[in-house]
Amino acid sequence: MKMTITAAAVRRLLLATAACALSTAAVAQEELNALVWCDHTDPALIEPFEKANDVKVNLKEYEGTGAGLSIVEQSRPGDWDVFVIDGVDVPRAIDMDLLAEIPAGRLPADDIFPEVRMEANNSKDGKIYAVTEKFGYNTISYDKTKVDPKDMEDLSIFWSDKYKGRIALYDYYLPMIGLTGLAIGKTTAELTMDDLPAIKEKLFEMKKVARQVSDVVASQTALVTGEVDIILGGGEWVTAGLMAEKPNLDWTVPKQGALRWAQSIGVFKDSAKQDLALKFVEYILSPEGQAKLATSSCYWGMPANAKAGEHLTDQQKTALRWDQQPEYLRTTQLYPVVDAELDAAMQDVWTEMLQQ
Amino acid sequence: MPRQLQTAFAILYAGVLYGFIFLPVVVLVLFSFQDGTLPVPPLHGLTLHWYGEIFADRKLMAALGNSLLVAVISSAVACLLGFLAAYAFARYRLPASNLQRALIVAPMTVSTLIIALGLLSVFSRLDIQLSLWTVGAGHVVINLPLCFAIIYASMGAHQINIERAARDLGARDWQVMLLVTAPMLMPSILAAFFLSVTFSWDEFIIAFLLSRFDVTLPVEIWSMLRSGLDPKTNAIGSVVFLMSVVLLFMLELIVLRKSGKPS
Amino acid sequence: MTVTPLERAEQRKAWGFALPALVWTTAFFLFPFAYMAAISLWTRSGGKIVATWTLDNYAAFFGKSHLLKALLNSLEVTAIVTVISILLAYPLAWIIAERVPKRWQRMALIMAILPFWTSYVVRSYSWLLVLSKGGVVNQTLIWAGLVAEPLQLSASRTGTVIGFVHFFVMLLTLTIYANLVQLSPNYRRAAADLGASGLQTFRHVILPLTLPGIMVGAFLTFVLCIGDYITPQILGGNNELLLPQVIMLQLGRRADFPMAAALSLVLMAVVTLAYLFCARWLKMERT
Repeated sequence: MKMTITAAAVRRLLLATAACALSTAAVAQEELNALVWCDHTDPALIEPFEKANDVKVNLKEYEGTGAGLSIVEQSRPGDWDVFVIDGVDVPRAIDMDLLAEIPAGRLPADDIFPEVRMEANNSKDGKIYAVTEKFGYNTISYDKTKVDPKDMEDLSIFWSDKYKGRIALYDYYLPMIGLTGLAIGKTTAELTMDDLPAIKEKLFEMKKVARQVSDVVASQTALVTGEVDIILGGGEWVTAGLMAEKPNLDWTVPKQGALRWAQSIGVFKDSAKQDLALKFVEYILSPEGQAKLATSSCYWGMPANAKAGEHLTDQQKTALRWDQQPEYLRTTQLYPVVDAELDAAMQDVWTEMLQQ
Repeated sequence: MPRQLQTAFAILYAGVLYGFIFLPVVVLVLFSFQDGTLPVPPLHGLTLHWYGEIFADRKLMAALGNSLLVAVISSAVACLLGFLAAYAFARYRLPASNLQRALIVAPMTVSTLIIALGLLSVFSRLDIQLSLWTVGAGHVVINLPLCFAIIYASMGAHQINIERAARDLGARDWQVMLLVTAPMLMPSILAAFFLSVTFSWDEFIIAFLLSRFDVTLPVEIWSMLRSGLDPKTNAIGSVVFLMSVVLLFMLELIVLRKSGKPS
Repeated sequence: MTVTPLERAEQRKAWGFALPALVWTTAFFLFPFAYMAAISLWTRSGGKIVATWTLDNYAAFFGKSHLLKALLNSLEVTAIVTVISILLAYPLAWIIAERVPKRWQRMALIMAILPFWTSYVVRSYSWLLVLSKGGVVNQTLIWAGLVAEPLQLSASRTGTVIGFVHFFVMLLTLTIYANLVQLSPNYRRAAADLGASGLQTFRHVILPLTLPGIMVGAFLTFVLCIGDYITPQILGGNNELLLPQVIMLQLGRRADFPMAAALSLVLMAVVTLAYLFCARWLKMERT
């Protein structure tokens, strides 16, 4: 008796599984596979596109261009349709022959802030391969009720004991090495192997005054719980989303300048769904898509399309510092451009610093 | 030490340790009711808002479903393979059986990170697309030793006589195994199954490295945590806890109590 | 010894039952492990994995102090965690086994391991809040007048250790309890009859009898602790890196699979050494 019940249960389970498999097959829509940064995984951004085009967008997030490229390398050609990549690394992707040419007519080229168009990176031989979609800064975020905002205007504060034990360093080697370079007067674009020993020494010193080296959420947690009062490497993308609840958080660009990050979006050359992929790129670059991307749940950042402003509230614009952009764009520099060797050396320096 | 003092000390010690053990859970559940967007002290007020949010979150619910599916199927496979192997080693004499048993339980002594990396390298070499199936295969690897060990340990000599009696009455081998041995061992099979389910359900590193678009709950929670502070994390944590506790007590009441065997 | 046809048939049947498990473990555990060991001898250059046989990755591990330090950190943290967890768990298991009335023991034990069933990731993150400057622990310490300033508990080795100890106290309470209840009360009675005090009975009778169980628990703690990525990543604040964190860095940032494989093999070697140590020790106990 007992056995029949178990057998029946097993049969029902098998049937249910089969039904499940069948039902997913029955409603199988077209799918778009995108290799992205985490801000693209916000349903508020993706769902409108999915509904409008009756597709399912599969998103895989990655951390760092090296990891992204290795995912591509381990995949079969045609596995991926859309690629979001660090603006400074687009030439690498073009050289690897990964990206398809984007017809200029389908892009809102004139609406994109001239300073972030980055034609030198995004195109080659007059052909466009990627478009800047979002940008922001790795600079200084802080709690203005706990620190003297004037101190935040100078990077040298990170090599003094004044805020010892109250600083979190953002755990990403590229901008942090860039910022350290700025502090000792090196331009990020010209960083070479020879600059690393000096930077390493400064990083080690900085580690001594820092309380922790953390990813986005751990830094945010530390800032709102009062664990730390300053995040070096932070910026609007760390604090803007929190400002509604924690108005005492602020960020600034110090006098030495800061780093500017920019992400580009492109279509994979081997994608079998060129048109759909292009539609997705168009959507992301449209004013609506841009506004949603700018205020994505993962992190905020300036939209590349100037018209996105029409879809943002005044409060959102204030948090993003919409009006101060010209000045920030002038005083900030792009991430260092590195080859594999320099990249590995920089990561070694960073890991050594963590182990200090 | 006088007896009363000893007892008082024991109560104090147990109290402090139970406090330590429950501390993160209490804080976790408490801040899932946080009225505000940050699950950090101070507690502003109580709301059920975040529970509404998680049930409306399509990705999170899909991950919950995926986790259940992977846990149940991989545990069932692990139990089946474990049971068959246990039956073979307990009832028959196989050459080099010590070595073979050692092979089956070996994954238990290896870090899951290493198991995951090994599988990842093989899957990518063989062009096998990562999916929930690859996660499930990995979970069978870590749960099979457990299921085998539990079921093997419960196979005693007293069952052999009953099996022999069944065979003498004309039952075939598979009938003996399915209708006599398996029901006799049901408590330990179920214990192995549920233990596997709870391990698979909460396993992170294999699920993280071997999945692609469809992810399990721990991986989804991890990416939620990477992307911003939210009491939703606490709410889903509390729900998972509640579900697991209900499952645990069901197991305790139905399976283990009835059999009268200590777990 | 002659094998009768009947025995041969029986044996064939036995293989049929054992084979699925053996094949699975070979295909999804043994083979991947061997393949990974091979990869650890390859290199990554120019963005591709190149199958040239070299010990470069291992040389890099022993040559770069920050990688070697990850192993030392891991060993230190694991040793600290194992010792503290055993010292905390043993009395609790003892109290449950000896002081709690029989009918309540199961309940007491289940309560001691209940938080196992909160999501591991969420639980570690919850510790971050508990241990923060304004968190429960620091507030209580300040309120009790034990410290004047909040202690740095999270984002440090202390945080990692506390997170780990929490997990392993639960695990070890379970294993040690299982050991204690298996002891026959006759041992204690015999010891008492011979005039041993409570403490003497514990030291000379109970403790030696439960030591093998403790060693098994300690080994389990060692394996799980040294291979864990979540707890140090969430609670350690990157103030130092443990081996699994460095392995994940090779994957996530460098896409250097051969190096990750080599580091994993180092981890594996350490675990094997620990196993041999425990096994040898247990054997010595028995003889």
